Amino acid sequence: MSRVARQLKFFNKISSTTLESQIILNAEKYSGLNLTFQCQNHNGHMGARKFWREFMPTLQFYNPQLHFQVTRVKNDDKKNASVPCVLEILDREGQSVGSLDMRNKQGAEIMQSLLAEVDHVKVAEEDIVKL
Amino acid sequence: MLSRVRTKVNALVNRNQTRCLQVFPRLSAEEASNSTTSKLSKDQLKKREIRRLAQRKAAARRAASDHPLYMPVDKALRFLRAAEVGQPQSQQTLSLTTAVISERGAPLLSGNLSFPNALKEVKVAVFTNDEDQAKLAREKYNCHLVGGTELVEQIKSGQTAVDFDKSFATPEIASTLASQLGRILGPRGLLPAAKKGTVSDNLESLLEGSMASLPFRQRGNSVSVAVGKCSFSDKQMLENLVAAQKGVKTALANQKAKRPSLLGQTTLTSTHGPGIVIDFA
Repeated sequence: MSRVARQLKFFNKISSTTLESQIILNAEKYSGLNLTFQCQNHNGHMGARKFWREFMPTLQFYNPQLHFQVTRVKNDDKKNASVPCVLEILDREGQSVGSLDMRNKQGAEIMQSLLAEVDHVKVAEEDIVKL
Repeated sequence: MLSRVRTKVNALVNRNQTRCLQVFPRLSAEEASNSTTSKLSKDQLKKREIRRLAQRKAAARRAASDHPLYMPVDKALRFLRAAEVGQPQSQQTLSLTTAVISERGAPLLSGNLSFPNALKEVKVAVFTNDEDQAKLAREKYNCHLVGGTELVEQIKSGQTAVDFDKSFATPEIASTLASQLGRILGPRGLLPAAKKGTVSDNLESLLEGSMASLPFRQRGNSVSVAVGKCSFSDKQMLENLVAAQKGVKTALANQKAKRPSLLGQTTLTSTHGPGIVIDFA
């Protein structure tokens, strides 16, 4: 695969091939999402990281006015399970209106529960950017 | 750097050839015919260099919009912001890289850029033993570091960190600076020198003209500058890009080369994101 083809694949992954997160959140209700999880995978934090890496670029691409913040906490101690692994949904004033526990869930599962939680519409077929 | 490698390679090739010629003249001829890159003769290397320059020139003449990775700036920014999602603010820097195609032996492209939307405050250091000048730099222009011989000593011993982006000096301290701090400031391009126009009796005129601008210089075959943050709006980014374009064009016009250099492919990229070709020329 050439350098250009690889790059195009990367762009398409953001804009057109990640189907689940091609949604537009209701901008009148929400101002963004706040994620908090560990840098390390232990104690069930891997799904949160995968969700961030795989689904959030597409979310940001179709919701440019929203702010997504990721806070990662360093924790090398495997016995210490006190680090939260949560996704907070923020309203217009920046107050939390809902939260999801991401612990021990896979990235796709987190995406599904987010879809069930928030008010959204699918991106129209003609608005999807394909390269 | 490349040229140094090439001379080394050349020397190796020459030595090999002479040794082979004495022992197996035929074998060396065979080797030369199915040669790999490291076994090219001096002549071939020269030809290759000319060929590559021609290729790069031809590539520079092609329109940016023909490239498969070309995008208009607003779309490029949308992709870059998406790729950069969730990263800490301080790491979301957008930068611009332009290929420079210049003749052999042309001086490196360098100049100053002043952005309408500043990325950060420009930190200026002023070296002088003249009290009046020092006072002026401190009070009127609010420079980051101002001092004379004692400041030189502090930097040399590592007490004061080298965290400024620019430096100026008066002539009486310039030679001390070069001998004491040449090793520290030289590689970073921060050493004041008369040739660069950063040493003068009248610091006021120097400071006046360049307080808000940031220096850039060519590294290898490209010029790379940080132009913004992901948090900038599209309008702010465009303003900065236009300013960068203006600065680079001015530097090109002022370059003291026999033939003017060309600007090649320009990419806009972010810290963690992909590079996207944009129209710059």
